[in-house]
Amino acid sequence: MIKIQVDMEKCQHYGQCVYEAPNIFQLNSEDKLEYIATADDAELNNVKEAADVCPMQAITIVQ
Amino acid sequence: MGGLRTAESLRRFGYSGDITIVGGEKHLPYNRPPLSKDLLAQGKDFDAVAFPIKDSELKAEFILADPATSLSCHEKRIYLASGRNLEYDYLVAATGLRSRQMHFPNNLKLGRYNLRTFDDAKAIGAAATPEKKVVILGAGFIGLELAATLRTLGCSVAIVALEAIPLSPILGDDFGLAVQKRHEKEGVQFHLNRSVQDLIGDQRISGVLLSDGEILECDLLIEAVGSQTNTEWLEGNNLEMGNGVLTDNSLRAMRIDKSRVEDLFVVGDIARFPYLNIALPARRIEHWNIPVECGKRVGREISAIEGSESSSEFKQGEHFNPLPSFWSDQFSISILSYGEPKIADTISLLEGSLDSEFIFEYRREGSVVAVAGIGMRRKISALREEIRL
Repeated sequence: MIKIQVDMEKCQHYGQCVYEAPNIFQLNSEDKLEYIATADDAELNNVKEAADVCPMQAITIVQ
Repeated sequence: MGGLRTAESLRRFGYSGDITIVGGEKHLPYNRPPLSKDLLAQGKDFDAVAFPIKDSELKAEFILADPATSLSCHEKRIYLASGRNLEYDYLVAATGLRSRQMHFPNNLKLGRYNLRTFDDAKAIGAAATPEKKVVILGAGFIGLELAATLRTLGCSVAIVALEAIPLSPILGDDFGLAVQKRHEKEGVQFHLNRSVQDLIGDQRISGVLLSDGEILECDLLIEAVGSQTNTEWLEGNNLEMGNGVLTDNSLRAMRIDKSRVEDLFVVGDIARFPYLNIALPARRIEHWNIPVECGKRVGREISAIEGSESSSEFKQGEHFNPLPSFWSDQFSISILSYGEPKIADTISLLEGSLDSEFIFEYRREGSVVAVAGIGMRRKISALREEIRL
């Protein structure tokens, strides 16, 4: 399993991560980011991509 | 960032050779978007913007504060400012941009600023204390973000720009006007259709003279009038330059004689790369996500040549066609864009209203080339699938 942390102080809810890892990240109806904090190892590459494309660099992965 | 992302991609796709990352700045790679926003507003330090680097995975050597000064494609060697030189099997050019500098008859230096680097942001942060009078030259994204941040910090802010409406060359008149109105409501003054003709002051700037004769007092002048490519070091190799470096579909540098350089890749702001579906000349794109996408692609391409990346989903030489994206926060305005709005021939309001949240759609010859708006991020993101570039 991998653990995902989003620094909500940094996050600006741009939603760039949503496209890279749609199973993990979503924008809710108020355009705020929601995410699942633990995921299967199979999601690791998607979450890495999501962390890379985050303009605020708010996503970290703990393996 | 482009260099770091390329190195990470190389390791991810199994490249096992040596990697050296050379930079002109003294800092390790860092994230620039917060420089005009959080970093200034909250006076944060370098750690807040440094990219996380896992040395054990990256296994790269960094050479900092030692910019490349020249290249010999023939010898496969680059020369650095310190006199050092490095031989390579593959070279990735990711030297990015620097701020364009204005020149005035009374060309004072004290009190003038640009914003491109971490050190630039710290200098502005130290000088722009509350009540200071700031003139910003340029009404693009950096100018507008700075205006919002400095206004929020309690400075008085005036923007001087050549265009009639801020952002209109990029996003269109209606969009730009909506942004301008919100800035004005927050107390930012606009002096549009004008330029700065000269600076006023003895040693330190105390004002600017506009092209229509008006004088604006100021303590700080920030020039946000675009950028220049850091490509001088590539000259002398018969590359197709002039506006960045022309590349082929796979980001390899092109020569003037239209042959390509097999072992020289160009990444990020300086790469002028061809469209896949649009009949327009190759273009450079100065958006944050482009070096990310370029780096990922080039790392994978080199790994494939070296044989460590043999996944069936990756085809060497496949047309690189990233979806450009940009975003910008100014006061409570949050702009999000996908695609290339400035190549559109038709702009239409898709949803919302100009005084609250909205989405514009940008088409060229009938097909969607961009969607952009204020707020409504979830809806804008869903529309990215429609874009064809």
